[in-house]
Amino acid sequence: MLKAKLHTFKKHLIKEQEADSPPIPEEVENGSQHEETWKSFHTTPYQYEDEACLIREVAYPLQTKWGRYTFSELAPVLEGWRTLRSEHPLSSGALEAEDLLFFDTETTGLSSGAGHSIFLLGSSQVRDQKVNVRQYLLQGPGSEVAMYHYFLHHVKGLKNLVTYNGKAFDWPQVKTRHTLLRQFVPSLPAFGHFDLLHGSRRLWRDTLPSVRLAAVEEAILQIKRKHDVPGYLAPMLYFQYVKEQDPELIQGVMTHNEWDVLSLITLYIHLSYILQDAIPLSVKEQFEAARWFEAVGESHLARIRYEALLTQEHSLRRTVTKALAALLKKEKEGEQACRLWEELCQEEQHDSDVFIEVAKWYEHHGKDPEKALLYAQQGYAIYKSTRRIVRRIDEQERSAFEKRIERLKKKVATSKER
Amino acid sequence: MLKKQSLSELIPQLKTNENIIHWHEIGAQQAKTKPFPATLDTRIAAALKKRGIHALYSHQHTAYESVQNGRHIVAVTPTASGKTLCYTLPVLQAIAEQEENRALYLFPTKALAQDQKSEINELIAEMEMEIKSYTYDGDTSPAIRQVVRQAGHIVITNPDMLHSAILPHHTKWVSLFENLKYVVIDELHTYRGVFGSHVANVIRRLKRICAFYGSSPQFICTSATIANPKELAQQLTGHSMTLIDDNGAPRGVKHFAFYNPPVVNQPLNIRKSATAEVNALAKMFLKNDIQTIVFARSRVRVELILSHLQELTKNDIQSTAIRGYRGGYLPKQRREIERGLRAGEIKGVVSTNALELGVDIGQLQVCVMTGYPGSVASTWQQAGRAGRRQEESLILMVASSTPLDQYVVAHPEYFFERSPEFARINPENIIIFVDHLKCAAYELPFKADETFGSVDVNDILEFLREERILHVHKDTYHWGSQVFPAANISLRSASQENVVIIDTSDKANVHIIGEMDRFSAMTLLHDEAIYLHEGTQYQVEKLDWDHCKAYVKEVEVEYYTDANLAVQLHVLEVDETTQRANSSVHFGDVAIHILPSIFKKIKLSTFENIGSGPIALPEEELHTNACWLALTNVDPTLAEKTLEQLLLGVAHVLQHVVPVHVMCDVRDIHVVSQIKATHSGLPTIFLYDHYPGGIGLAHDVYKRFDEVLERAAMVIENCPCQDGCPSCIGTELLNIEAKKRSVALLKHL
Repeated sequence: MLKAKLHTFKKHLIKEQEADSPPIPEEVENGSQHEETWKSFHTTPYQYEDEACLIREVAYPLQTKWGRYTFSELAPVLEGWRTLRSEHPLSSGALEAEDLLFFDTETTGLSSGAGHSIFLLGSSQVRDQKVNVRQYLLQGPGSEVAMYHYFLHHVKGLKNLVTYNGKAFDWPQVKTRHTLLRQFVPSLPAFGHFDLLHGSRRLWRDTLPSVRLAAVEEAILQIKRKHDVPGYLAPMLYFQYVKEQDPELIQGVMTHNEWDVLSLITLYIHLSYILQDAIPLSVKEQFEAARWFEAVGESHLARIRYEALLTQEHSLRRTVTKALAALLKKEKEGEQACRLWEELCQEEQHDSDVFIEVAKWYEHHGKDPEKALLYAQQGYAIYKSTRRIVRRIDEQERSAFEKRIERLKKKVATSKER
Repeated sequence: MLKKQSLSELIPQLKTNENIIHWHEIGAQQAKTKPFPATLDTRIAAALKKRGIHALYSHQHTAYESVQNGRHIVAVTPTASGKTLCYTLPVLQAIAEQEENRALYLFPTKALAQDQKSEINELIAEMEMEIKSYTYDGDTSPAIRQVVRQAGHIVITNPDMLHSAILPHHTKWVSLFENLKYVVIDELHTYRGVFGSHVANVIRRLKRICAFYGSSPQFICTSATIANPKELAQQLTGHSMTLIDDNGAPRGVKHFAFYNPPVVNQPLNIRKSATAEVNALAKMFLKNDIQTIVFARSRVRVELILSHLQELTKNDIQSTAIRGYRGGYLPKQRREIERGLRAGEIKGVVSTNALELGVDIGQLQVCVMTGYPGSVASTWQQAGRAGRRQEESLILMVASSTPLDQYVVAHPEYFFERSPEFARINPENIIIFVDHLKCAAYELPFKADETFGSVDVNDILEFLREERILHVHKDTYHWGSQVFPAANISLRSASQENVVIIDTSDKANVHIIGEMDRFSAMTLLHDEAIYLHEGTQYQVEKLDWDHCKAYVKEVEVEYYTDANLAVQLHVLEVDETTQRANSSVHFGDVAIHILPSIFKKIKLSTFENIGSGPIALPEEELHTNACWLALTNVDPTLAEKTLEQLLLGVAHVLQHVVPVHVMCDVRDIHVVSQIKATHSGLPTIFLYDHYPGGIGLAHDVYKRFDEVLERAAMVIENCPCQDGCPSCIGTELLNIEAKKRSVALLKHL
């Protein structure tokens, strides 16, 4: 009766996209054949209680070149951070290369809710003069305890994670799974976390069509992937693998993940070099690096970089000058800032902001209301002429100009009386 | 200019109005109070005193004591009786006793949740305790969400949010679920029909997750008056309940009058339209500055009355002082109207049953209903909008010419002595049940021997495994799809997507003015339909059915549109049968094909048909439950044509009688007659649930078929018309002695 009903209402019960893989042959292939395939793929099953976890281990010599750099360049990068004595969020400080765990996951869905799990935990790490890639593959939905048992034991002493969007996605997902299994597995370690997506966004958002890791690899890191399995196919391939247990179904996804965790090393080297000013950079990159230091409160390093940019001729000069002037103002070096703004006032006549900045300084610090008034009036004239073109004059802005000018007129008058 | 009259002055005048056919007075009631319970935390007692509360009403006191004794409760409270304290006191007490305790409040709408947050935060502010209460809904910013999850003592949300955002992400709410002491369900009576059936399953999921984290919350529900609050609460929560209904709140004198519009065509018993009469009555109150709420049954009616009232009173009060209020308005608009009503800036509001709910608009002086709202419970809810604690208030029900309305006003005792209706849900509706089972499996894997709300689900788990949605490993079923199931399931309506209404009148400022469920859109937003929004007429330029968008443009025309649906029906399976002398009654599964056919243009002033056009929309298919009556032994002298008309007439009556008996909206159950049913060739009348899989309405009709038939015969017999009118079997049944024969038919089944 119930079964008949389920059949009658099938159209309402099963939404098309839910059952997204084709039916599979009932007979499962010979297990020992799979064992051989796994073995040649450097993958070994590990038992924990009555479940297994497949762990794949591959090692690369440090001299291996992955895109623009060899892995061995991690050493000068870490040395560079030590010399720079910076508190930048990507600074490795006192950490050794072995302390960094480059980490990426593959999941059965993107919802980040309790029903989607991580089926592949991938990591790379420097160990004994080699880069070790280690991947933990979930054998099936019931085997999570085994997978996290081995993973959490291996990362027990972990000091620092390096990911791409791991702060928003991968690690919260690990936490979700851990919450569900917490009675059965060791607790999560506490550690530092470099999320390289943030830096990629800062540096290349304006110049690249997308800052997906694959796009950054291709445009910036000179890494070319061949026969890569696109990430969005991973869940489907995995569900198929769970049904059929055929290693070939999932090997492509594992290779994709392996490349991800290797590229993270190259990307970390590259971002660090940019911040350390250790390689030739585009003006835009130099500028974004300087802004980044400013944003994280490292004003002196920001200032050095802005100033260096002003020794060259380029199209961003005006932008850089304004940024430096704003930084100087914040650092209570108003007089120097004002000098920069005055320079800008000479150059171009369509930017009312700089005139107001100069007016402010002369009013409050330079104690020269007449000069301030002159700049304020020029600024207002420019504001009106530019806004007239776009036909949008904001009431608040307009009254701010007028109030300033009124006030300055009074100040000029009183100073004359004296 | 004439002096404005007060309500007390108007009442004696109205009493002499010849169209008022019944006047009922409900006496004032003194407050019944008890001192604060001894166990109540002194900080809470002090805060209450600061707000001028020195004792509890009897029902608040009983609620508090019962909850302290570990009971799950449902408190039945009329509008404005201080129901909030029934749950807020035990919740605050629990947090005062132990800081870790948590409570979850469920309100049927976001608006009610917002109201509640302000109210509870005012009380907390007086308490000098660190209690944090937050709303958690679609408008909550991501930064605050984090705080709510970890530190909110009281999380105020709605079932939709619980379903799609909280339960599927339960691992981010560990501190809530580990310490959940109380779940508060306000406006319990709104959880009926499809919506209630969904919510019962959402609560099953909630309890399952609580069990995983080791908590077992107590449920505190409040409800408006319905026949079965206790049963409904038990069905929704799966716990046995204590009923609290000793209302101790005071109230002033209430006058309840039935108004029947005068007959304008004696032989056909056609009365003046209720809408026109409501317009005149409401105008009288508004001109005298008496705050009035007008209820109308449909969105279209709301807009019609609104535009008339704004026109009628335009010289006396500004048009912003009269507003409309219904589904389809944007939340910001609604909030503004609610505020205006509380502050008294808005003198009149015309609303659908959207304002039946506990949205805080203060208490008004007069309530006018355009037609009988369809159920006793709903009528009392609407009536509750009028009535201040000290002053007199007036409720006027203006009858329309439908059979039901005429029956009610002709038999006041039916209304005043009858118990209110039953609220029914069917959480085991196969589609709803399986949908939530999927969500539950997504949230936590299922053990093979596990039940869901005490239903054995092994067959369904196996079915879902075969369909590759679940994956079985040893004795456990895991979610095995990359889809997020809650995203595809809407609690509110059969159709999952709403049609967005886009105003393209100003090419430079194309914007969204509202939305509507797909089924309603079929009849209200088809190409060329006239759609009314806040009193403005729009014509639909194009309905993009595939993308759920309706493009409209402002127009000014003298008509509105009314759409017809063509319905085909096939019996799939007969589950139950009752044989009678000359007929048989069945219950089973049917397939229905619905196709909108044409729309008519109807002139606003005279209601005459001035044109029509086709509707080009695809057919919708519906598999559902039906109850049907087949005539097995028909009087052989009856001509087929006559019988066909009689069936139509009886169906017309049933369509109006049945919703009263099973407490549902007229749109939830449909009636269709066939002179030769496709499956049997017999003359048949079908009544079916308008929801895939059915929600128990047709089954209820099947069980109480005698009562329904008796009521239908009574409606026809008691109608004062000569031989058929819109109030009973419909018009256009000339010269066949339709009334006599219909009654005979119903009495000899």
